[in-house]
Amino acid sequence: MDAFKLMKELRANYEQEGYYIPKETGLNLIESTEQNGSGISAKCRDAQVEDLWGLSSFFGYSTQTFVLAVNLLDRFLALMRVQPKHLSCVGLSCLHLAAQRSEPDAMLSSGHELIRIGQRRFTASDLSRMEKIVAEKLHFTSSAVTPLTFLHLYHQVALGQSPSRKEVLSLEKLEAQLKACLRCMSFSKAKPSVLALALLRHEIKAIQSEDMLEMTCHVQRHLKIADGELQYWGERVARCLSDYASPRCSRPNHRKLLWVVSRRTAQNLQSSSCCAPDLPTIPEGGWDPSQSEDSSEDLSSGEESLSSSLEGEGGYFPLHLRRRR
Amino acid sequence: MSSAATTPPSVDKVDGFSRKSVRKAKQKRSQSSSQFRSQGKPIELTPLPLLKDVPAPEQPELFLKKLQQCCTVFDFMDTLSDLKMKEYKRSTLNELVDYVTVSRGYLTEQAYPDVVKMVSYNIFRTLPPSDSNEFDPEEDEPTLEASWPHLQLVYEFFIRFLESQEFQPSIAKKYIDQKFVLQLLELFDSEDPRERDYLKTVLHRIYGKFLGLRAFIRKQINNIFLRFVYETEHFNGVAELLEILGSIINGFALPLKAEHKQFLVKVLIPLHTVRSLSLFHAQLAYCIVQFLEKDPALTEPVIRGLLKFWPKTCSQKEVMFLGELEEILDVIEPTQFVKIQEPLFRQISRCVSSPHFQVAERALYYWNNEYIMSLIEENSSVILPIMFASLYRISKEHWNPAIVALVYNVLKAFMEMNSTLFDELTATYKSDRQREKKKEKEREDLWKKLEDLELKRGLRSDGIIPT
Repeated sequence: MDAFKLMKELRANYEQEGYYIPKETGLNLIESTEQNGSGISAKCRDAQVEDLWGLSSFFGYSTQTFVLAVNLLDRFLALMRVQPKHLSCVGLSCLHLAAQRSEPDAMLSSGHELIRIGQRRFTASDLSRMEKIVAEKLHFTSSAVTPLTFLHLYHQVALGQSPSRKEVLSLEKLEAQLKACLRCMSFSKAKPSVLALALLRHEIKAIQSEDMLEMTCHVQRHLKIADGELQYWGERVARCLSDYASPRCSRPNHRKLLWVVSRRTAQNLQSSSCCAPDLPTIPEGGWDPSQSEDSSEDLSSGEESLSSSLEGEGGYFPLHLRRRR
Repeated sequence: MSSAATTPPSVDKVDGFSRKSVRKAKQKRSQSSSQFRSQGKPIELTPLPLLKDVPAPEQPELFLKKLQQCCTVFDFMDTLSDLKMKEYKRSTLNELVDYVTVSRGYLTEQAYPDVVKMVSYNIFRTLPPSDSNEFDPEEDEPTLEASWPHLQLVYEFFIRFLESQEFQPSIAKKYIDQKFVLQLLELFDSEDPRERDYLKTVLHRIYGKFLGLRAFIRKQINNIFLRFVYETEHFNGVAELLEILGSIINGFALPLKAEHKQFLVKVLIPLHTVRSLSLFHAQLAYCIVQFLEKDPALTEPVIRGLLKFWPKTCSQKEVMFLGELEEILDVIEPTQFVKIQEPLFRQISRCVSSPHFQVAERALYYWNNEYIMSLIEENSSVILPIMFASLYRISKEHWNPAIVALVYNVLKAFMEMNSTLFDELTATYKSDRQREKKKEKEREDLWKKLEDLELKRGLRSDGIIPT
């Protein structure tokens, strides 16, 4: 697309984006709700989005699907009072809806499969009913204007005249960063155009390309995005991405995953775990004859005999050699 | 004394595969022995008074007389002969067992050789040959020892004798010597599991009490195992010997002697290669884990050894290996883990993609183990790249839906451990796949071009290959 058309496209999307931002009052309500209260809290929402991220990665869905799903979810939650027990159904139906719109048929998995892999408790008919409700309430037909839309456009603008720059400014990396940001609820308030621009600028600063930075200023002026707003979201983005990139592993409070194994393996697991023999330990280098009465006593597992067989030249057995279980 | 004509084996087909156990339609050969052939006439033993009925000073001498009487062996294959005498011997043996358990002061120096003699006469015998090469220890019923009613009491008696308070190894060692132990070890090949159980206890006590025989016993056990692994692959007593070894290993002094380390590497690890591993795997795994608890530095050679002998065609064995590996990982030290994580997870990655669902399932279940998970987490940057490709591939391609669900659990765990790396790997995987697809397409196009060329060539009438 040539530069002029790109700018026009940007403008058009910019004007549309208002329709696709979740209601602010709704988002505030969620943020102020306490965990374990009667409503959805920010943590609940974030956990659900994490789940959706996991599922969309597993099924190999595109970033578009994931971003669209999160957008639908946020808009729905901001609009309707959802009970926490229905949250996972809402989340999965958003994902399914998004997948149906954005994925080619070959990649699409059925609702059944989504439920099975996602280890959900509801049925496929529950899922399709919820999908209808969501689509209806959000007047959802085919797509939405999301930060990803802008990201793609901005990326093309930034590449501009020289497509060789693709190596330097990687779209995949930007998409991954966007996904990381969306997992945090605070970014749902941001305007898609601003969020995407903040992300792009963050990456361009990292690769230190002056002229690409110029391009972004140009875009900013074109869309009339306020400096303050861009700055505000820029800081947030930087913080979020430094967490994402840190080597420290984070374990959010996720649901414990279900490990279902076949009967044979389960039997196998049970029988192998009880194998301590019932012969008492014979210490090397000495057997105190007066201890021969112990042979009737059951010193079954190794650990006990380690500490009790210290007689003679048996040696000292450090306790840290105990089996860890 | 083999029995009547054999009936032709009937083969029962189940799913097209004949069941081995049904093939044994022919009757088992009886356990006759040349021990009994010389006894043409019936055996007569003069009944002796009961020990409790005799005053204390006379008891030791009566004891010796009874021992002497019990040296007579009876043929149990002939169920009708000498019934009265067999019963007499049985009750005498019973009496001896009780006597040894409760009495004080009965054990004179003379008793020792007589006891050993009586035990030797009864238990040391040539074992009947196993029914056929087709004896499958897992499926077929073992041939039980016919003279068990007497044998059991002899073993019971011997054990109580060894465990008795008055027992003095310094006297006994003249009679319980290397020759005795050698014959004892040969008996471990008995098909009767009850006999092997008693033998296990007997040898355990002897090992414990006779320090001078320990090295010899260890050496002989080594020989048995080595012959088993490299020559015959037949020996019924491996599990029992390993149980005894377990209690010996448990008692090793630190630092471990070189002899013991050699034993681990040269004997225990190769034991894993035998076909009948399932019969003694639990005991073998226990021994290995005990070794590693004693000396963690042995972890690397052990795991490398297991990986070297990893089963390639027997899935049942693979599942056993995976179980053993998990037990080893349960006790591994983090520093040792880092040394072997790469070859280890390469193997696990192969197991996880195995089309045999039990193998895949067992391997995936490692991720349910908290300690292993913590080790993986600490080293996720090394482990994730190794596992990623096969996990991702089987999530799309495996035939078993339960496996796909488990893979999700594992991938989810990885996603949470290290999101950046995970995203990077996903992106690389996808671009690799695209590149591969492109190459495939190019190759197909090339073939198509060649085909077209071939057609064109065929159309030329002079058949000259165009250059």
